[in-house]
Amino acid sequence: MVRARLGALVVLFSLVAVGCAHYPLNAPLATAGDGRTGYRFPAMVVERPDPADEIFVCLSFSGGGTRAAAFSYGALLRLRNIDIGRTGRPRSLLDEVDCIAGISGGAFTAAYYGLFGAATFDRFYDRFLARDIQGELALSALNPVNLARLASPYFSRIDLAAELYDTTVFGGATYAALAKRPRPFVILHATSMANGAPFEFTQDDFDFLGSDLGSFHVGRAAAASSAFPFLLSPVSLRSYPPAAGFVIPRDVSRALETRELNPSRYAWARQRLDLMAGQEEKWLHLLDGGLADNIGLRSVLRAYDRSGGFIAQRINAGHIKRLIVIAVNARTDPPEQLSRQARSPGLADVFMKTATVSMESLSADTIDYAINRQSEREQAQTNVRLCNQRLAGCGAEPFPTFAQEIRTCFVEISFEGLPSPAREQFLSLPTTFALPEESVKRLIEVAGTLLDSSPSLQKLLRALRGEPTPGAGVGESGNCS
Amino acid sequence: MEYLIVKFPETREVRVDGVPHGRTNIVLQFEAGIHDVTLGPPWNFAPLEQKVLLLNTAALAPYQVEFRVLPPASIPISPGSPP
Repeated sequence: MVRARLGALVVLFSLVAVGCAHYPLNAPLATAGDGRTGYRFPAMVVERPDPADEIFVCLSFSGGGTRAAAFSYGALLRLRNIDIGRTGRPRSLLDEVDCIAGISGGAFTAAYYGLFGAATFDRFYDRFLARDIQGELALSALNPVNLARLASPYFSRIDLAAELYDTTVFGGATYAALAKRPRPFVILHATSMANGAPFEFTQDDFDFLGSDLGSFHVGRAAAASSAFPFLLSPVSLRSYPPAAGFVIPRDVSRALETRELNPSRYAWARQRLDLMAGQEEKWLHLLDGGLADNIGLRSVLRAYDRSGGFIAQRINAGHIKRLIVIAVNARTDPPEQLSRQARSPGLADVFMKTATVSMESLSADTIDYAINRQSEREQAQTNVRLCNQRLAGCGAEPFPTFAQEIRTCFVEISFEGLPSPAREQFLSLPTTFALPEESVKRLIEVAGTLLDSSPSLQKLLRALRGEPTPGAGVGESGNCS
Repeated sequence: MEYLIVKFPETREVRVDGVPHGRTNIVLQFEAGIHDVTLGPPWNFAPLEQKVLLLNTAALAPYQVEFRVLPPASIPISPGSPP
């Protein structure tokens, strides 16, 4: 009798749990702000340039599970110990970081540092890197209550993961808490399942959803950024009717008029409009950010290219003297087995390759684009300077100049830069949220080693300290000079 | 990248696509395509806004946009309002 009642209670509880289980909905936004409220890079105040803009540093943390999280954490640690002493008192290169773009595993490090700053170096290792997150997720899914919740069509594995990250990694922090923190501005990335478009967890993108990012939990954004296809389900967001007073930004509306002249600007604008709800209900289903950009650089490049971009604004205003971008790329290249077998690859291999094969070529293209963009600016500055020097010699009127000549520096660290056999060992590490502690410690250490041995970074540090580069002449130019 | 210079007798904030972007009489960089160009307050300039197509420019040959200073009697209180 007792057993029957107990059984009935369990069934009843399960039914209630199934009925109630629903992922947390993102909140609607009642009134659109003036483009200055919410989690977005602070609007520029031209009259009072921020001294922090002078050396403008952006980091990008790639995807790659705990491997990427540990590698990017190691980079933060090393940057914290690089003293650039600009103002006569100790100041680390990490203190100069203005923005961090994070993808998937790298999103955890980026978000944690954005939320907790220096405390990251006391807590992040135990809170995330040393944990068997995958094992905890599996255990959580086997919990009878969660099994019942998972039976709901509105609650899935990713929602369990989001809860775990939210409560045990990020302490329930929302974007409102992140917005109260000083720089760096953190951009977590995900990918729209509908069209493969990149999605950024910033109020700028949430404006198109008519939604308030402030009440959204950072742990859920990290879950979206790392929702690897097939292993995890997408994170779903509701797109509401636009908030009162919302006006489509001009850089978006104008971009739609010139598709043939600038297809990438057009595609970006089109994707922003695709986020908006019309008369019918609309939902955005987000997968791993690495599907659109596994290196995390594209949001930084958009901030440089777009007229609404926070880097473009600061360059044109003459606030930035040095633009430094450091890409922490935890990509791997495990030994290829598929090419060694005559039989056709199985379904699992096809699924996995479908999800990952395009990442490599996209990442290489993105790095090329970043380098070319920086060279282009430096070349333009050189042309104007040299012409004006010639004109000055004959007393002619000079050409107009930029507000400020900027020096640019692009640094990429990846396992490719290691000597053998370490190179092959690191390139073979798996993508998982459970790595042995020894691997985690080695990843942290190797990030520092790679930064220390990066010729570009060392050249930059010499330039920042006003030291000459060995073998270089006066007026040395080029990347990181 | 494309290059733009906004000519105006005074040094004034330049707004491109509704966002502040440096000042008048210097070279500014933007991506190719159509952009809306205007100036910051006071509103003693005309026209109110200009739509430009940036393409095939160079830092030494930027696209040039000119605004003129309005006489005091013609200055509106806000953009578009009567003087």
